[in-house]
Amino acid sequence: MLSLWLSQLANGLVLGGLYVLIAIGLSIIFGLLGIVNFAHGAFFALGAYFAVTLFNALGWPAVVLAPILVGLVGMVVERLLIHRLYDKEPLVSLIVTFALALMLEALTRVIWGGLGLPFSAPPFLSGIFLWGPVLVTRYRFFVFATTVALLVALWACLQFTPYGRILRAGSRDPEMVGLLGIRLPRVLTAVFGLGCAIAGIAGVLAAPLWTVDPTISENAIMPAFVIVTIGGLGSFPGAVIAGLLVGEVVTITIQFAPAASGAIMYIFMAAVLLVRPRGLLGERWERFE
Amino acid sequence: MSLSPAGVPRRGTTRRTLLAAVGAAGAASGLGMPFIRPAEAEGPIRIGLLLAKTGSIAAQAQYLSYGTYLAAAERGHRINGRPLELVWYDEPSTQGAQQNFHKLVQEEKVVAVLGGTLSSYALAEEAVAQQLKIPYCCDNAAATEITGRNCNRFTFRLNTPVQVQANMFAPFLMGYGKKWYFLTASYAFGQDIARSFKALLKAAGGTIVGDDTVPLNTSDYSAYILKIRAAQPDMVLGGLAGDLGTCLKQWNDMGMKGKIPFAEIAIGDSDIWGVGPQAATGIYTSLWWYKNPANTPAEQRMAADHEKKYGKPAADKSWMGWLSARSLFESIEAAKSTRPMAIVEALEHWKDSGTGVFYRPFDHQMMLPNLVVKVKSKITDKWDFFDVIATVPKNRADLSKAYGSEAGIGCHFPPA
Repeated sequence: MLSLWLSQLANGLVLGGLYVLIAIGLSIIFGLLGIVNFAHGAFFALGAYFAVTLFNALGWPAVVLAPILVGLVGMVVERLLIHRLYDKEPLVSLIVTFALALMLEALTRVIWGGLGLPFSAPPFLSGIFLWGPVLVTRYRFFVFATTVALLVALWACLQFTPYGRILRAGSRDPEMVGLLGIRLPRVLTAVFGLGCAIAGIAGVLAAPLWTVDPTISENAIMPAFVIVTIGGLGSFPGAVIAGLLVGEVVTITIQFAPAASGAIMYIFMAAVLLVRPRGLLGERWERFE
Repeated sequence: MSLSPAGVPRRGTTRRTLLAAVGAAGAASGLGMPFIRPAEAEGPIRIGLLLAKTGSIAAQAQYLSYGTYLAAAERGHRINGRPLELVWYDEPSTQGAQQNFHKLVQEEKVVAVLGGTLSSYALAEEAVAQQLKIPYCCDNAAATEITGRNCNRFTFRLNTPVQVQANMFAPFLMGYGKKWYFLTASYAFGQDIARSFKALLKAAGGTIVGDDTVPLNTSDYSAYILKIRAAQPDMVLGGLAGDLGTCLKQWNDMGMKGKIPFAEIAIGDSDIWGVGPQAATGIYTSLWWYKNPANTPAEQRMAADHEKKYGKPAADKSWMGWLSARSLFESIEAAKSTRPMAIVEALEHWKDSGTGVFYRPFDHQMMLPNLVVKVKSKITDKWDFFDVIATVPKNRADLSKAYGSEAGIGCHFPPA
């Protein structure tokens, strides 16, 4: 029994890592641009579909291009649509991006069809590790390691680079940043592209584990919103902590009450919001008060 | 009558009018202009198609529609000399499916309806069929109640009910051992599977070593798989339907493929094709497989037409759409009428010339044997995943026993 428990805890941590990866792009877009991006799941799905297409056409190395393509699609969408929403209430962006999500899902259905597309992990990432009683699959470990590396890189970029400082300043006071002579619109386009590219990475990494069909976006969007809400809207470390916690809570629930595992993340979110209405690490933002 | 150059009407027949009349008559009879044939004067026969266009079940619906259109094409889109038209409406929800059934009948003037992608939709649709007194052939839904306690005179169902599939499949699965782990989705289909198989397993003296109800649209099965690994059952009995693909991918990722047998009823070919050769595994029931050597010439012809038209092999759902549509088209032809009750009576007497299958008179359930298929240990063709390892029941004579008796089914047609 102890070995099963340890395995489940390790599994919850790895599952949490995947949740963090799905949610972090959403958190960045909200935190820096103030956009409630309901189309985040659609960009996640695009990552999965691009990965399958590139793999079938060019093999494994080409799969790394998938998130870049998703980022470029995101930048085009920002230029055409999203930049018109920066001075609007967050509710408007939610409605517009919801419509965008429906449109992108319909588009994937037209291009790739409604059937599931086969896609598995590369052979060198197949198999399992057995560390004493703990079982972790090679592929899930790779996903977790990639998530950690990406989070560290993002954090370092935001904290220590001039670009990161502009982003943080722009998210709080865009007018002042503009007065300093910085062309903020281009920066914002890049931020939206970055958030979408991270969603794309999550989509690529989830594709060997999930069924790649038009409903894949629905499976991503709800956990992403729950995690961002629990962590505190726009909080980068909050999303990380919340993702890992949700992974553990879901896994433990499956062990004891599997039928409740679908609802548990929402119950957990409600409990957190009752105690801390702004989420675990949420701050008071003047723009949204 | 023609006019003379002075404008005075001419009486009698001139050479010119005679030639024109002969020419017109020749064109009408010799060229066989279809629009003046007496039967054609009644206009086209319109059949409604109620199949989901969105959601995870839309993939199966797509194949059902392929089969239906092929059935129409193989008879030249005509029934009794009249053009045959298919009108496809969506099944967006239970209520939406009912509304679209009404629209098909009242606005599109269809004479019968084919469809029912999900059991919940089919149960709602068969109530409308009874209300509007329109023949309804349900091709995909498997809930026992459709031809059980919710049956009616206007509803005919092709798919084998869950309980019947369990009756056929369980004895076969006992050969793998009697310590089973249940992994079923928390909705009607999954619960029906769990209930049916648990009763049969207990009756055979088996043991349930684990029983997990999985929420619909679960995206991560790793924690469930760890529990199964720890329980070490002889076999896992799944009832995951649309989520099966995700489960099998993760089953393979966690090194379980080939370790513990995985079985489920009524898998769709499109579901397993979506899993891919690397992760696909398991033993399933299926109604039809395109490479089954026992397929009839008509089925082989349909499979060839399917591949030619759609560029991929016919799935089991294509066959289900095809056979269901054939039963309806041939019954309308036999009835020589589009009156609902005439079509119903013809369906009750219909029998497929190739396979010999028919709808049972007292509940309108199609009497079909099932195939037991197993995923090949090595897949080299991206479509050819299965080996047919058995037909259940073994003898046709046992079909009635597997499908249940009139007394046990609980079907009593309400007054038509």
